[in-house]
Amino acid sequence: MIASAHSADKKVFEISRMSNEVKELRSAFVDKRGKLMRLKKESYIETEMKKKGIEISMNPPVKIKVKPQ
Amino acid sequence: MFVFALAVVFKLCSIQFIEGDKYRAMAQKRSIKAFEIPANRGNVYSADGSLLATSIPKYDVGIDAVTSSDKNFKKYIKPLCDSLAAFTGKSSGSIEQKIKKARNTKDQYLLLLRNLSYSEFIRVRNFPLFKLGSVRGGFVYSQKTKREHPLGGIAERSIGYERKDDKGYYTRVGIDGAFGKDYLRGENGRRLKQRIGKGEWKPIRDINEIEPKNGYDIYTTIDVNIQDIAHHSLLGQLEKYEAEHGCVVVMDVKTGEIKAISNLGRNREGNYYERLNYAVGESHEPGSTFKVMAMMAALEDKVIDTSTVVDTKNGRKMFYGRPINDSGQGHGKISAAKALEVSSNIGLATIVDDNYSSQPEKFLKRLRDWRLDKVLGVSIIGEGKPVIPKPGDKIWSRNALPSMAYGYNMQLTPLQTLAFYNAIANEGELIKPRFLRAVKEFDRDIEVFEKEVLVDKICSDETLFKIKDILKNIVVRGTGQRLYSETFSMAGKTGTARTDYADYEAWRKDRKYVSSFAGYFPADNPKYSCIVVIHKPSTKVGYYGADVSGPVFKRIAQKIYTDTPLIDEIDSVEFQNPQVVQDFEKFNGLSNTYKTIMPNLVGMPAMDAVAFLENMEVEIKVKLSGNGIVKKQSVSENIKLKSNQVIVLEAS
Repeated sequence: MIASAHSADKKVFEISRMSNEVKELRSAFVDKRGKLMRLKKESYIETEMKKKGIEISMNPPVKIKVKPQ
Repeated sequence: MFVFALAVVFKLCSIQFIEGDKYRAMAQKRSIKAFEIPANRGNVYSADGSLLATSIPKYDVGIDAVTSSDKNFKKYIKPLCDSLAAFTGKSSGSIEQKIKKARNTKDQYLLLLRNLSYSEFIRVRNFPLFKLGSVRGGFVYSQKTKREHPLGGIAERSIGYERKDDKGYYTRVGIDGAFGKDYLRGENGRRLKQRIGKGEWKPIRDINEIEPKNGYDIYTTIDVNIQDIAHHSLLGQLEKYEAEHGCVVVMDVKTGEIKAISNLGRNREGNYYERLNYAVGESHEPGSTFKVMAMMAALEDKVIDTSTVVDTKNGRKMFYGRPINDSGQGHGKISAAKALEVSSNIGLATIVDDNYSSQPEKFLKRLRDWRLDKVLGVSIIGEGKPVIPKPGDKIWSRNALPSMAYGYNMQLTPLQTLAFYNAIANEGELIKPRFLRAVKEFDRDIEVFEKEVLVDKICSDETLFKIKDILKNIVVRGTGQRLYSETFSMAGKTGTARTDYADYEAWRKDRKYVSSFAGYFPADNPKYSCIVVIHKPSTKVGYYGADVSGPVFKRIAQKIYTDTPLIDEIDSVEFQNPQVVQDFEKFNGLSNTYKTIMPNLVGMPAMDAVAFLENMEVEIKVKLSGNGIVKKQSVSENIKLKSNQVIVLEAS
């Protein structure tokens, strides 16, 4: 009885530790994801590339498609 | 002594039996508590799966300046303040002063840092003094769940939020607010817990236990890339023209999905940010973009044709005692189509007044049939109500009809105007703009949203054909001419409306305009419709719809054009160059005949010659000088080659 109560307590501590870890990872994930999304934005790339003298093309890319024989 | 013992026994019994129940209840109250288990709020995603809104834990950190011992306080206060200074960028001295002051005034809670992410929180917790914990170090913190928009300020107002105040009222903004109750919120759980060590609580058996139900995720129609471009090009124009506020909405023609919605307003410092959802909520006089509706009504009723001649005089004409002006010197006698192309107020007012003044109801019925008098019923809360006056209304007069012809004395929201232009692009089918694609629980669809048709066909194909032609020409040679691009096509209508149109004197003192552009692209077989409305640009810089709002429209159209690859289809990649074939045959013939005997390599490209020699059946060494065509070979033709023989080739 006492042993199982203690083992239950131990599990609670374990769960709390792990849920804190989940929080940490989640927070880190959202942090990094947000950063990535900001870096990925076309407007950001545009301003960064401007420094190197690269600009957005006025013409779309051309795909060459071979008709099936 | 005996009496004393008796008294002790008596007290024992009284505690155990008489007051026992009270104390037992108290003990239970301290160690057992009902906990609310908060449900996780669902996430909001964009169409491509980028996170738009999610909930993460945030921490506020403070210090109990009283609890730590003098020895610890003295020892650690300096390093703690240095660490805090490095963390916040403030000066270490000022932080130290603040904390010392709090210690002197016996302040048990001095807030130091707000809204830390978990990783920042962990860092702060390991600072000197704080490391000692809450009792010895005075480390105090509180945790809360905050809604985060990873994209930052982009589309913030449309993604929105939901906030509950102390009284339980909800403030509901944007998509997050609109779908909070039905999908995102989830349901909180509840269960009993018993206190155990280390400040933790252990769940205990409870028959009334309720499991929390997490909220669903919602997938919006927002396209992050288009949104990004829309946001930044709108921002650029607002800054350039020092405008008060503006909005841009991009809609998918066939499905009614809103691909981008941006609303920016200026604050007192002159910076722009997402303040209100102008596109959805703000009804205003549309001005010239409404001329398209007026023209279509007249075309559909067949009271005019595109070639009907209207007299726009010299830029000024009286209607029931009130003048209507055109910008510039007037256009004289022009066709109805031309009147719309050059956006002549007089032209449209004349067309509508001549044909409907005796029967305004006929004109108004058209507008009602197109649902322009009703809200669209979009999911975002707070949609602005349109105003279309009718005879008997306070704002109705004989001048009402000609005024409406060019978009005054009435109100529409940008989204309503856009929905109508979208219907023109979508072969006359009026669709409700929508923000949601699906509601999901992990990968499982809970609800999938389809397009909602409001009006099957707003007008005949003939009228559609005519109006599309005019809209296209507006950009080619009309008021939108400055937007024309050779590489991609657009169609649309400019609008330059005066604010406070009814009160000319007030307007004259403070001349302000609403510049707009509504349309779709590509002009043939449209994919997206778009509206840009910019309020009160600085008249010193410019105010015409084509100059202020048009460039935003063009930038979006251009982006979508350059993002869509052109497809070139070819019949076959089997392509034979006769020269190559001939060379190959010759090379092949030679290598089949000369396997151990030196061939004549003069005239052959050096690269081929080397390859040829190296592939012979005898092991030989090749030395090449120069490159190009072989001029000379050290071993002459038809000599049998020995193994390890060196052959020198000279090329030009």
